[in-house]
Amino acid sequence: MKHLLVSGHRGCAGCCDAMATKFTLMGAGEDCIVVSPTGCLEVMTTPFPETSWNVPWIHSLFENAAAVASGIEAALKAMGKKGNTKVVAIGGDGATMDIGLQAISGAFERGHDFTYVCIDNEAYMNTGVQRSSGTPFNASTTTSPAGKVSFGNQRPKKNMPAIIAAHGSPYVATTSLAYGKDMIAKVKKATETPGPTYVHCHAPCTTGWGFDTSKTVEVARMAVKTGLWPLFEMENGEITKVRKIGTPSPVEDYLKMQSRFKHLFSKEGGAEEIAKIQAIADKNIEQYGL
Amino acid sequence: MVTQLIKGNTAVIIGALYAGCDCYFGYPITPASEILHEASFYFPMLGRKFVQAESEEAAINMVYGGASAGHRVMTASSGPGISLKQEGISYLAGAELPCVIVDIMRAGPGLGNIGPEQADYNQIVKGGGHGNYKNIVLAPNSVQEMCDLTIKAFELSFKYRNPAVVLADGVLGQMVEPLKFPTNAVQPQVDTSWAVAATSQTRQNLITSIFLDFEQLEDFNNRLQKKYELIEHQEVAYEKYMMEDADIILVSYGISSRICRSAVEQARNKGIKVGLFRPITLFPFPAKELFKLAQTGDSTFICVEMSNGQMREDVLLATRCMRPVELVNRLGGNLITFDQVMQKIEEIAKGGST
Repeated sequence: MKHLLVSGHRGCAGCCDAMATKFTLMGAGEDCIVVSPTGCLEVMTTPFPETSWNVPWIHSLFENAAAVASGIEAALKAMGKKGNTKVVAIGGDGATMDIGLQAISGAFERGHDFTYVCIDNEAYMNTGVQRSSGTPFNASTTTSPAGKVSFGNQRPKKNMPAIIAAHGSPYVATTSLAYGKDMIAKVKKATETPGPTYVHCHAPCTTGWGFDTSKTVEVARMAVKTGLWPLFEMENGEITKVRKIGTPSPVEDYLKMQSRFKHLFSKEGGAEEIAKIQAIADKNIEQYGL
Repeated sequence: MVTQLIKGNTAVIIGALYAGCDCYFGYPITPASEILHEASFYFPMLGRKFVQAESEEAAINMVYGGASAGHRVMTASSGPGISLKQEGISYLAGAELPCVIVDIMRAGPGLGNIGPEQADYNQIVKGGGHGNYKNIVLAPNSVQEMCDLTIKAFELSFKYRNPAVVLADGVLGQMVEPLKFPTNAVQPQVDTSWAVAATSQTRQNLITSIFLDFEQLEDFNNRLQKKYELIEHQEVAYEKYMMEDADIILVSYGISSRICRSAVEQARNKGIKVGLFRPITLFPFPAKELFKLAQTGDSTFICVEMSNGQMREDVLLATRCMRPVELVNRLGGNLITFDQVMQKIEEIAKGGST
């Protein structure tokens, strides 16, 4: 199989972006045009004149990947060249859930035939681990530092798949880079579904979350096994498929793997905070029938 | 007095805290992010407000809101982020709101890279957003000035009810030098004389930039221009170094001026009469002083800046093209080298290029 994102890029050892992008391209296939907003993925794969991409690729500024993708899709249609060519935007959580949300909303509302893939590593990693609206409750980041008073980020993670579903998207899915086949299949389905579709990938960042570079997949898998990251598919607003997790692992097993949560195990009152995170997982398990 | 080795970006927040800044609104971008980090750490600790916005536009409009309510507010970013903020900056200037904006310039255009440049000169000094407005612009060249000029920016911004920008670059933001901490701290206080602070006493105040009547808007614009003239008259700041008998005058601001200082000393050792003229305020630009220098001697000016000569255009205007104005520059994130400046000085000293 031809590699569409080749080795030799400048990602960290154990980089989540590299893995998630490989799976994305395996799902989308060779006949695709990729749009990447600013972020680690863009910086590490395209230091001019080098590139890791074996598909047409365009960089956009941080806030406008979905607008650029809209333009490409419209132009392909105008030229009568859309055919089976897939237009795929791949953005991080900051580009997707914060600064880029307006452009994404516009593109989904207009109904462009494209797929947006969010590689969610739960903070602004490229600029130095600042919180985003994808940062989970109680995680320490450089702008939500845990300290004497604070347990870190005090807001729940934004429910981005629900926002996209509310736009009437025909296909919305969550996935995890711990489940490569799952991600490849979901991206394939998303790109083959006409209209604006969305795949949200949970992607642990070794640098930003603080775990050994060999553990990316294990950390990702544990997020799913605890129920903190449910894997599901939604078609036309209805959940049609859920990945069952069997007996869930306690959230401690996930939290203790990462230094962004280490204050929960050393600070007074940590146990109560961990219980709040367990409640988030329990709610997911119930809500999605995990 | 406390002295500490500190990063330029950190010094900005030290200055802001001493200046009584009570609300920080920001968004991450390299090489300015440490300002955001430090604000997130210190502001809540001191009972002040820190908000990380979801975008640059949101951050500058939070500044608009906070400033309207009379608070001492600030934000910081770098080139691409400042470009996104421009609409908000125009609104702040139009509503005559005081605030401080810090721009840690990086190389452009477009995404460019995260190396240092001084190419936001035009977008900051000349306005950048729409309309006939100006920012007060201060250009530090050391970690000490990153702190001191942030304080000065708050002072001037409130004195004139006008946005003030601290225009620095990636080197100044990232480099570490000793900082003498300020000795006086301003207590955060809401200015109720013009603000709309949700109190009965501020009920009559109005913050707006909407003038649907053409005559009214023209009057307002003219009044703004009078304010800018007053600022030009009262607030020009610059530094002269070995200028008394200088035949060759280096004009440089920010980090480039530090390289120039070394070049002046080296050239003097070689018997070449070189001086350094460093604008500290870029608006108001020290145009009168430069004009005087152009009139009084047969000197040659060399502008040294990390842009395509954006400040040089203002030097040409100020000197009314009476004397040659050369340019030494680097672009793309590269620093100007000492050798590059020396080479130009020696070339001119030999009468090679005018």
